[in-house]
Amino acid sequence: MTGRAELARIFLRPPSVLPVLTALAPVIITALATIISPAAAHHVGSYVPRDNAVTTNFKQMKFSVQAKKYDVALRLFDEGALRTEMRAHAAVLPPGLEDGTRAALLAGDGPEVERRLMIFFAALARDLALEADRQLARPDASAEARAATGRKFLEAIWRYYNLVDFAVATRDNKASVAVRLAFDEAEAAVKPAAVGAAPADPAGIRPPLQRIAQVLSTLIERSLSTPSSMTPRRNS
Amino acid sequence: MTGGDAPTWKVPPRWVLLVAVLSIVAAEVGGGAMARYKVELTRWARAGMQARPEVHGLVGVRDVDERILDEALVKFDAGLRLFHMHAEGMGLVIIATSMVAATVIPSPAASRAIIALLTAGGAGYPVGYLVWSALIPSYGLEQAKALAEWLVWVPFGSATIVALWCLVGLVAWSMLARRRA
Repeated sequence: MTGRAELARIFLRPPSVLPVLTALAPVIITALATIISPAAAHHVGSYVPRDNAVTTNFKQMKFSVQAKKYDVALRLFDEGALRTEMRAHAAVLPPGLEDGTRAALLAGDGPEVERRLMIFFAALARDLALEADRQLARPDASAEARAATGRKFLEAIWRYYNLVDFAVATRDNKASVAVRLAFDEAEAAVKPAAVGAAPADPAGIRPPLQRIAQVLSTLIERSLSTPSSMTPRRNS
Repeated sequence: MTGGDAPTWKVPPRWVLLVAVLSIVAAEVGGGAMARYKVELTRWARAGMQARPEVHGLVGVRDVDERILDEALVKFDAGLRLFHMHAEGMGLVIIATSMVAATVIPSPAASRAIIALLTAGGAGYPVGYLVWSALIPSYGLEQAKALAEWLVWVPFGSATIVALWCLVGLVAWSMLARRRA
């Protein structure tokens, strides 16, 4: 036990070679996987899209209304992001939408609350479709950039429309089907090109976007003139 | 320990241990800083992304842009977390594998080369996650990832992989040599 060479030793018997190889196996397998699949080798985390403040507030309100807790739903509406958003979009929304929603909550009228929220989200989706169409009409961007923009808009449109699709289908089944078909068509037009396939055709997204905006505008107009008490309900 | 010929675990060179411990220290400091300055870091990254809308594909519509920024910020945070985890883990991997190399490989030159590769690769690889995070605001998710990949992950990761395969080969070789003896 003298000298530096002795100090640099740990006084345990080393394992035989087989256990060492066994211990190294996970590292080796990981290394092998890195060589076989370099793209997946560097774990960079995954992203699960989250609800924004408006969709979160909507879901909270929806569940409160379904449970007939109108006082809770009213508080959520008064303090939540949905009402703030309604005010921010007041200029493009049907007049009285905010007051009407509040009145329906006060009166404990669930179907009327649902109708007004459906109109609100349909209006948000319609405005996004119109803005997407406007941006995609600009010729200065590359096809790839326009396809990427189109995909992002479709994601945002669907995030809002998806919340009220059931309510739309309950009131106007044809409108619901028309929106979903147009959405599928738009998605197909901007789908990322498969390996070796032709690039997406971003120009093809504009007609379905225009159709989405038009169907939703008609839906909003019809829903405004049809109170919830006259709406046929589906048994589902 | 009395038997002069009895094989024992050998400690790798001090500089290797220093690098490994530094890697673990950097991981801990990084983890602590990440928690302490979370808001400031997020603000910095967000401002960087908003200053380069074309890089991130921002369209000027809040409903669309919020999702893009949210994803980039989640990945920015993930990069910092992965640096913390990898630097901690690779520090230990350096110590363990270099100790195996120092003990089992009979040739001093081969042992030195493998230990150098294991140390450089193991300490350098986690830095790629820091680089990735730092580049996200300026270059966007995909380009930042490509840069980190070619500047750090591929060279340092390859060094580790090559060293590990050599280590396996030499361990297996020494196993066969022992049987023959």
